[in-house]
Amino acid sequence: MSRLLVVEDEQHLAEGLRFNLEAEGYEVEILGHGGRALEALLRDSTRFDAVVLDVMLPGKDGFAIASELRAAGRYVPILMLTARSRPEDVLRGFEAGADDYVPKPFELAILVARLNGLLRRGRWHRDAAAAAGGDVNAQDTIEFGGRRIDFEAMQVTSGEQAHRLTRMECELLRYLVSNAGKAVSRRAILEEVWGVHEDTDTRAIDNFMVRLRRYLEDDPSSPRFLLTVRGVGYTLALPAER
Amino acid sequence: MTRRQKAIALSVTLSVLLLAAAVALNIGWIVINARRITPLIWGVVSFAIIIAGIIVYTVVLVLEIKRNEDHNTFLNAVTHELKTPIASIRLYLETLQSRSLTDDQRRHFYEVMLADAERLHRTVDNVLKAGAVRERRSVHGTDVDMAALVRECVDVAVLRHHLPPGAIHLDVEGEQPLVVRGAPEDLQTAIANLLDNAVKYSGDAVRVTVVLAAPTPDTVWVRVQDRGVGIPRRQLRRIFRRFYRVPALGAARVTGTGLGLYIVRSIARAHGGRVFAHSEGEGRGATFTVELPRAARA
Repeated sequence: MSRLLVVEDEQHLAEGLRFNLEAEGYEVEILGHGGRALEALLRDSTRFDAVVLDVMLPGKDGFAIASELRAAGRYVPILMLTARSRPEDVLRGFEAGADDYVPKPFELAILVARLNGLLRRGRWHRDAAAAAGGDVNAQDTIEFGGRRIDFEAMQVTSGEQAHRLTRMECELLRYLVSNAGKAVSRRAILEEVWGVHEDTDTRAIDNFMVRLRRYLEDDPSSPRFLLTVRGVGYTLALPAER
Repeated sequence: MTRRQKAIALSVTLSVLLLAAAVALNIGWIVINARRITPLIWGVVSFAIIIAGIIVYTVVLVLEIKRNEDHNTFLNAVTHELKTPIASIRLYLETLQSRSLTDDQRRHFYEVMLADAERLHRTVDNVLKAGAVRERRSVHGTDVDMAALVRECVDVAVLRHHLPPGAIHLDVEGEQPLVVRGAPEDLQTAIANLLDNAVKYSGDAVRVTVVLAAPTPDTVWVRVQDRGVGIPRRQLRRIFRRFYRVPALGAARVTGTGLGLYIVRSIARAHGGRVFAHSEGEGRGATFTVELPRAARA
């Protein structure tokens, strides 16, 4: 049985979510305070299979909780459930390390479906890692410049060092790799990777690129692979011997 | 640094540099024209105007940036206050529709939805009221017996927040009747907002005292005192500003629109009165006093 942590300070919503998620067969724990939720997750994040996280919370907001968890190397899947649905809020959520983002008011069936999807991906990833003992299917990895990107295990390794990727970083890298050699615009990235269509500030993309460069480049300030295309966006230039 | 702090830092730095340049030029002008009185005076006056202009410009800019930020906070707060009860009502309706429930569960869910509808109603009311009181400068109403009005507000608050009897204690002091000339609905809104705040910031143990008194023969006080989270001293004046929210206090819940006390103040002023707050500091409760002019006895 999957265990969920629901971080929600609105008592009515928390109660309603508990009732329905338990009816769907999940085991549910509820915390209503941001700071205490982060403490609980840092203490033992493996206790939960996924977290449903509100943004406006007393103590510490959902964005801060997600980014502090990721900074501490805890990769429990996070679904943000919040009233803030403007594109910049959605991007901020993903940037903080959320894996999915559902605006309130939500449809119960869709929330459950997305939670199931999140848990299923987590299980696939665990099964694949266990079955292959780390050496996963070749098409799910790519090597260049002394780095090895493993999309299934969601990590970049260079020599002994391994960086874990968040789900969004992983999706973005996958998109860049599948368009390697082509210039991709920031708007295309927003639409293809995030599924955001409204007019929105595309500069959030740049923050992701800065992070990816730290993983992929020897010298992130003068990149060799992940290049900026002035006036357009970015391109991933892979070496020819690939 | 937040975006607002960056913008303020940038505009202040720019102004300081411009000021320094203007002052340096001014000194240069004085040195060069030390003996020529007419250009000296003209120059000093022009520089003084430029310097004053830069200072006024900076102050206006900083205030505008702050107002913009307040407005953003307000939009987020109202979005939250509107969408949360809608999300809750929708969740419970879907639950009622799709699950088999016992009668007790069903009754409980109806109660939850009613409470959420009530919350939604209050938010919408407050937003509309805030727009309405802004337009109004004064009211010409009827004679209102404050003792009856406040008693009714207390009864409504006890019911609305499901409080045990006695959680809000009402004391009526002084010579009766305490009559105020005004709009009863507005006065009710003001008292109700103060009571809602007192309950909201009390936490689990609600102990609120409401005192109705006549400190002088021509004034009436309605004083609402709670023993909740309190207010830091520096915030005591700001809390009446439109959209202003006290930065989260410990475990305080992040609800409300930042309009409640603004409405109270606007209503008090429209009645020729005022409202003021007092608190011993965080964790030591808060007292709000609405002071209104007492109607002349017939």
